[in-house]
Amino acid sequence: MAASVREKQTVALRRMLNFNTPPLKNNAAEPVWKVLIYDRFGQDIISPLLSVKELRDMGITLHLLLHSDRDPIPDVPAIYFLMPTEENIDRICQDLRNQLYESYYLNFISAISRSKLEDIASAALAANVVSQVTKVFDQYLNFITLEDEMFILCHQNKELISYHAINRADIQDTDMEAIMDSIVDSLFCFFVTLGAVPIIRCPRGNAAEMVAVKLDKKLRENLRDARNSLFTGDSMSAGQFSFQRPLFVLADRNMDMATPLHHSWTYQALIHDVLDFHLNRVVMEEGSSMEPSPGGARPKKKSKKSYDLTAADKFWQKHKGSPFPEVAESVQEELDSYRAQEDEVKHLKSIMGLEGEDEGAISMLSDNTAKLTSAVSSLPELLEKKRLIDLHTNVATAVLDHIKSRKLDVYFEYEEKLLSKSNLDKSLLDIITDPDAGTPEDKMRLFLIYYITAQQAPSELDLEQYRKALLDAGCDLSPLNYIKQWKAFTKMANPANYGNSGVKPMGLFSRVMNTGSQFVMEGVKNLVLKQHNLPVTRILDNLMEMKSHPETDDYRYFDPKMLRGSESSVPRNKNPFQEAIVFVVGGGNYIEYQNLVDYTKSKPGRKVVYGCSELFNAAQFMKQLSQLGQK
Amino acid sequence: MTCRLVDSGACTEMAVDITLLFKASVKTVKTRNKAIGIGFDSTKDEIFKRSRTKSGFTQRAKEVITNITKLKDFLLQHRKDYISAGSLISSDLTRMTDGERDQIDQDAQIFMRTCSEAIKQLRGEVEKQAAPAQIKEHRGSVLDLVETYLKGVCKVYSEQRAIRVKRMVDKKRLSRLTPERSSRPEKTLEVAPTEEKTIIEESSEKSISEVQGSAVSLWEEGRVEDELSPEEIQMFEQENQRLVSEMSSLVDEVRQIEGKVVEISRLQEIFAEKVLQQESEIDNIHQLVVGATENVKEGNEDIREAIKNNAGFRVWILFFLVMCSFSLLFLDWYDS
Repeated sequence: MAASVREKQTVALRRMLNFNTPPLKNNAAEPVWKVLIYDRFGQDIISPLLSVKELRDMGITLHLLLHSDRDPIPDVPAIYFLMPTEENIDRICQDLRNQLYESYYLNFISAISRSKLEDIASAALAANVVSQVTKVFDQYLNFITLEDEMFILCHQNKELISYHAINRADIQDTDMEAIMDSIVDSLFCFFVTLGAVPIIRCPRGNAAEMVAVKLDKKLRENLRDARNSLFTGDSMSAGQFSFQRPLFVLADRNMDMATPLHHSWTYQALIHDVLDFHLNRVVMEEGSSMEPSPGGARPKKKSKKSYDLTAADKFWQKHKGSPFPEVAESVQEELDSYRAQEDEVKHLKSIMGLEGEDEGAISMLSDNTAKLTSAVSSLPELLEKKRLIDLHTNVATAVLDHIKSRKLDVYFEYEEKLLSKSNLDKSLLDIITDPDAGTPEDKMRLFLIYYITAQQAPSELDLEQYRKALLDAGCDLSPLNYIKQWKAFTKMANPANYGNSGVKPMGLFSRVMNTGSQFVMEGVKNLVLKQHNLPVTRILDNLMEMKSHPETDDYRYFDPKMLRGSESSVPRNKNPFQEAIVFVVGGGNYIEYQNLVDYTKSKPGRKVVYGCSELFNAAQFMKQLSQLGQK
Repeated sequence: MTCRLVDSGACTEMAVDITLLFKASVKTVKTRNKAIGIGFDSTKDEIFKRSRTKSGFTQRAKEVITNITKLKDFLLQHRKDYISAGSLISSDLTRMTDGERDQIDQDAQIFMRTCSEAIKQLRGEVEKQAAPAQIKEHRGSVLDLVETYLKGVCKVYSEQRAIRVKRMVDKKRLSRLTPERSSRPEKTLEVAPTEEKTIIEESSEKSISEVQGSAVSLWEEGRVEDELSPEEIQMFEQENQRLVSEMSSLVDEVRQIEGKVVEISRLQEIFAEKVLQQESEIDNIHQLVVGATENVKEGNEDIREAIKNNAGFRVWILFFLVMCSFSLLFLDWYDS
């Protein structure tokens, strides 16, 4: 697994767009033009990986949604990339009948069934275009890769496999089966793209176990079927870069409910929490919302701007996991270095103007033409850098506004103390009754974390007090009902231990240093995160290192390559694993991802990939909890 | 159903080719249809369909592409010969003369110009044609792709040319200095490959003739003596030194100028591109400004009219009031 998940999926997409032949490296090859047609699933998969410009470079002249009105373009090959659902198949048949394009390359995101294939065949036959259907492929790409080592299952219909859908009280067996099937299908596609058969470990007694059983069965069936196996032995041994199989850890959201509600302090997690962030795209309103409009004048029209935070953005890649004050400083540094470079270029102008008539200036001229050439060729880079700096300035300013208005730093500090069970200096009630510290949602989150992490449930009196305070603040109490139920269910002897974390405020000195920067963070404490491990990370650590720990000892063990399915939970392999994939059934978020990334950095030579069935921020999670609590 | 190995840098191909499965399904459906009794006379219709001609646009775009490919192949084929640093000594038959090189340059440029003309023409046609929006967009992007391809090939050509110019300059430098050191007045300077008559050669020839002239005169004077006197030898040495320094300074200057000219031409290209980009924007702004001035003029006119109307209106009101008061007075006088 030397190449990251994102690269693998990108390579697969590029190959598909090149008519399923490996793309040539030759830059000056003849252009071949084609049209790309996708459905919403395909769009979600392609958009984080390939930009419109890259599509153009590959010869895609038009990219259209499947269910839009499309005009016939009679002499162009069309590449379809979509899920094999009923309506998509119907639309393909319609296209074939209308003979919109010259040749058709059909690529299905996950495997298509025989009957649907026959539907297409009969439509093609009816329209006499069978020869035009040039190729049909099963791409096995039914997952969305957001980062180098992070993927989610789907974005479009995520209500179907959300935490709420899995854990609701009135769920039928058939519904559960359907949900599990779709999750397993996507995971199977993921492993096909990865090209490795993992060893699966999962806890007992929850949704994760069901997923593990099904996935094991599916992998096993595919391996047994020697003719059609997708993991043939030759390709594995020769093409693999590691000789070990990866470890696949399935976790369930129910194991750790506090982390999604936690207020975060790293850049990416904050953006996801506070702004509208989907599929690596931030949508913000332009213009500061702090100034009141002058009396009588029309209010400033706010337009929505969307920014893409991509892999090519070096600043983003470097700082997406850093704590926010660091980000603010770095933006300032980047701005300064950019201004210095800009000044250099401007300086050249004056030099050019001076030496007009000098005869002995030939030597100077030579230097200057070289400088000019280098300046002109570096201009596009400079412009790009400026654009990125502007982008990050806007985004960071928006985040900072939210932090200041909601006092998110206070919440973060308090929650960290709660999670690490260190002494609390302020009482919970104070924060809840404080009118300008955060929205009612924030307060509810804080209270839920308190409730979840408390060793013993607070007494009835306390609870009443809290309830009243929360209702006064305007919070909705239905999530609390659900959490109570949850706590009763899990009834863990030791509530999830969040490890030692410490939060040190950095003190006056740094605040003085920060006043020079554009981001005046007065009143916002400069908090420094100390390394700590979330439950998911600790479980992963135990399993990878084969350490014995009461939490993970009774995890089940599946090995699809073994001839006999064993029910034992004794691992056959005694060596520690080098690569792992963590998948959280029921939803995950960036805080866990960041924690895993930090863990990987601390242990060199390890690779960890994080996946979840859906990605939600705290607000969305609260909504699901309140829905569950209302039943 | 393929699971091929690709290079070690890429991952193994995991997409499954089910085209054969599809064809099998087609057969199944066909047999099923025959059994039910729905028959399609597919063979005849297929023949008809196949004779459908491609649209003119695609054909022409494909033609342009094939032309550009021909040019590219031609350039690459002769690339080695073109930039070979054929030394003076080797009598390699495959070495290109510079006349041929110039010919290649000229032909390539004409070719590139015609190709870009063809692209522009196609673009104009696309604009004029009334086709649905998607087709227009598609054709526009097709032309963009062809243009990028052309630019790539032009880059290949200009790189070759730049290498050639550099090599020539270096060659001249080498061939200048070494003969200078060992030359005697009566020996003519070795003539380097004279593709272009530069100032150096002319000036050097002039100075050669000068030197020769002075040497001849000296010779004439010293013909009586059997051998050159030491002073004369020294004088000749000094002359040599002077000539050498003059030559080398001239050579340096010209070399530098040549290099700078190449760089400046590159810069000019970049600037020209940028200026062309700005042209369309400036046109836009121009239009807007013209429109704005028109609007302001019309506004002025309207205001003038309004003032006039206002004034006229007032005159009428005044007149009416005066008439009313007069009529009142009149009635009053009439009554009493």
